[in-house]
Amino acid sequence: MMKSKILRRLIPAALMVSGVMISGPAQAENYQKLVDADVQEFQAYFHKEFPDVKLADFADGVYALNEDARNQWKEMEEFPPYELDVEAGKALFNKPFANGKSLASCFPDGGAVRGKYPYFDEKRGEVVTLEMAINECRVENGEKAWPWKKGDLAKVSAYMAYISRGQKVDVKVKSKAAYDAYMKGKKFFYAKRGMLNMSCSGCHMEYTGRNLRAEIVSPALGHTTHFPVFRSKWGETGTLHKRYAGCNKNIGAKPFPAQSEEYRNLEFFQTVMSNGLEYNGPASRK
Amino acid sequence: MKKVLSLLSLLVLMPSGSMLLAAGSACSSPLIDQAEATRKEAASLGYEWRDTAKLIKSAKVACEKGDQKESDKLASLALLQGQRAVEQAKFMDKNWEMMIPKN
Repeated sequence: MMKSKILRRLIPAALMVSGVMISGPAQAENYQKLVDADVQEFQAYFHKEFPDVKLADFADGVYALNEDARNQWKEMEEFPPYELDVEAGKALFNKPFANGKSLASCFPDGGAVRGKYPYFDEKRGEVVTLEMAINECRVENGEKAWPWKKGDLAKVSAYMAYISRGQKVDVKVKSKAAYDAYMKGKKFFYAKRGMLNMSCSGCHMEYTGRNLRAEIVSPALGHTTHFPVFRSKWGETGTLHKRYAGCNKNIGAKPFPAQSEEYRNLEFFQTVMSNGLEYNGPASRK
Repeated sequence: MKKVLSLLSLLVLMPSGSMLLAAGSACSSPLIDQAEATRKEAASLGYEWRDTAKLIKSAKVACEKGDQKESDKLASLALLQGQRAVEQAKFMDKNWEMMIPKN
């Protein structure tokens, strides 16, 4: 009787100790394994749906799925509509702030850092996106933050994406806090919302390749590799979060603010799902 | 004399009070209040629908114009949207993993 009482007290303590022992790198490996299994399953879904499309080609979005659309897009890319924005972004990136520094002072490798974002900042306990880092650099140097969805921020983001082309998507999930953010993004992606009761996955997994009115629905795999994009519909370059807000509006849900925790977690999840693809932004889209 | 003066001041103040009420968006009804509370609940769960706040705003405008019937109609619609959004949020919170498409 006495023995079993002692054992009952000792077992949880032993488990706690072992828990402490496997925390740190080993625990991080466990989170990464869970995430890697998701990535494998996610990419296998698209491979099964579109067996003729190579994994790398999903970075081209809907143009990986339809030859006619792809040919039209390739013609458009000969004189890309985002070209002027990339040039403007370069100038803004190097333009001195009032204190003499510039965006170039905040980012290494001349700003070719697209492949490092988004990431989970362990100290801050949140996902940091490229656009967030650009505006934080401005604010830290006494400048005003730019509006999040278009304009100068999108232009600088387009320039940084352009000079980062070819970098591999390789987002890590190393801690419980990072995994929690990832799971929040995952839930957002699969949960149905809005008046039409639709989810991101409903359109961009289950309906991928089918027609939605005159448009072909793009695959979620590769979504985050090519932003910001110049959309003909917008007539300008816009950020990923502008697109998220538009999608949410389309399904009758109230959009979240750009760079809200919800959209940053969604970007984090979606980018993880595209691990292994290459960044190829900015891009042009209809 | 004092009574007459206080009555007079009341008469002067009463219309200005109601004018103040009408000038803001203070026009309200139990239906509008209920719709607004439900919208807030849906928003706190992260599932507010796109048009709910607009419907509530339109219901207030109709109320201010004295069109109670139209106001109630719009507020009822907003309330229904809010209730559906809350149901959606609760259902998705428990069942979102069922929405993951299988290979």
